[in-house]
Amino acid sequence: MTERDFQPTPGCAQFDRELMDYLEGEARPFVSTHARECAFCSVLLADLEQLRFSARQLPLQEPSPSVWANLHARLEQEGLIRPRVRGWDWLESLRALARPAPLGALASLAILGAMFIASPIALQVPESAASVSTAPQAAVVASASFADDRELARMTQDLEATFRANEGLLAPETRDTYEKGLTSLDDSIRECKDSLRQKPDNTLAQDYLLTAYTRKAEILTTALEFQGR
Amino acid sequence: MTGNTAEAEDLTQEAFLQLFRKIATFRGESAFSTWLHRLAVNVVLMHLRKKGLQQISLDETDTSQEEPVKRDYGDDDRRLVGSIDRVSLTRAIQDLPPGYRAVFVLHDIEGYEHNEIAEIMNCSVGNSKSQLHKARLKLRDRLKEDRRKEFLGATIPVDKPNGKGLR
Repeated sequence: MTERDFQPTPGCAQFDRELMDYLEGEARPFVSTHARECAFCSVLLADLEQLRFSARQLPLQEPSPSVWANLHARLEQEGLIRPRVRGWDWLESLRALARPAPLGALASLAILGAMFIASPIALQVPESAASVSTAPQAAVVASASFADDRELARMTQDLEATFRANEGLLAPETRDTYEKGLTSLDDSIRECKDSLRQKPDNTLAQDYLLTAYTRKAEILTTALEFQGR
Repeated sequence: MTGNTAEAEDLTQEAFLQLFRKIATFRGESAFSTWLHRLAVNVVLMHLRKKGLQQISLDETDTSQEEPVKRDYGDDDRRLVGSIDRVSLTRAIQDLPPGYRAVFVLHDIEGYEHNEIAEIMNCSVGNSKSQLHKARLKLRDRLKEDRRKEFLGATIPVDKPNGKGLR
């Protein structure tokens, strides 16, 4: 039997009128009663309930990663967000700083880092050898002496002094976040120094020390920039 | 709502751009999610308007309410129960008029309530319910039609005695 065979009764008309509200969860006892009596309406009701169930099972589609990448690029282009800071890009943020002292210290630190990376052997040269070096060894000696803990500490201290002078400008929770990061790095620096004191040729400790100082400089730089807003 | 993944992704991007541009105008008068969804729906509707697609106004007078709902007798080959596959349903949703499609997607797929849809779509709660009901009936008709075609395709012999196939 198909639609051609369907002869609607007054009950079917009432069923139609109440069906929407019934499916919305309203109490419409006539709908279920009529559906039990009328095969046509019974199929209609079953179909709609199945449809509702099937729709709920459809997965929600996630946009592809390119959407977020394009969005990020557009937002940056329109100046709605700041460029993402990654790796050594943090040096770019120094442009916003009009503070010569930390800038100079950070530049020195960057040069120092480059020297460490370019000539890791330099760190292993004993100071005694450096003191009697010949001309070709001068650069190595310079690197070694430049790697002096006190020199590194002085550079980050310049940055930290500026940060401390202005830390009142930061919201307490922001300041706490920076403090936690700095405390953690200070602990790392202390541990590296202890290790190097016991074993000066520990290259791993040297690497960690450089990383810790660099990271500390990054944090202080972003903190100074934050204070400058 | 667009029925096209690439188009949907472009509009997603546009909606988020609008979000960043207009975030300052959010006054907290509605839930943020509702505000965001309304913004997204507006982006889609603007896009459809630009494309010149026919839209169903959710507040237009509903004249089809009195039309009798189509019925088939409870023949297992025709009823939808247990026979709605995702592909057919997705295709049928894509073919709905945009207004119906929007309400159906928001309510039956994404789980929004009618009062939220009314706010998002700028229509009354009653119209949202009515449009949803009509969308479901349209989908049912479409799915039954697909099923009928499938059924006929399966029962009509492929090869006639003269050797010419019907399919």
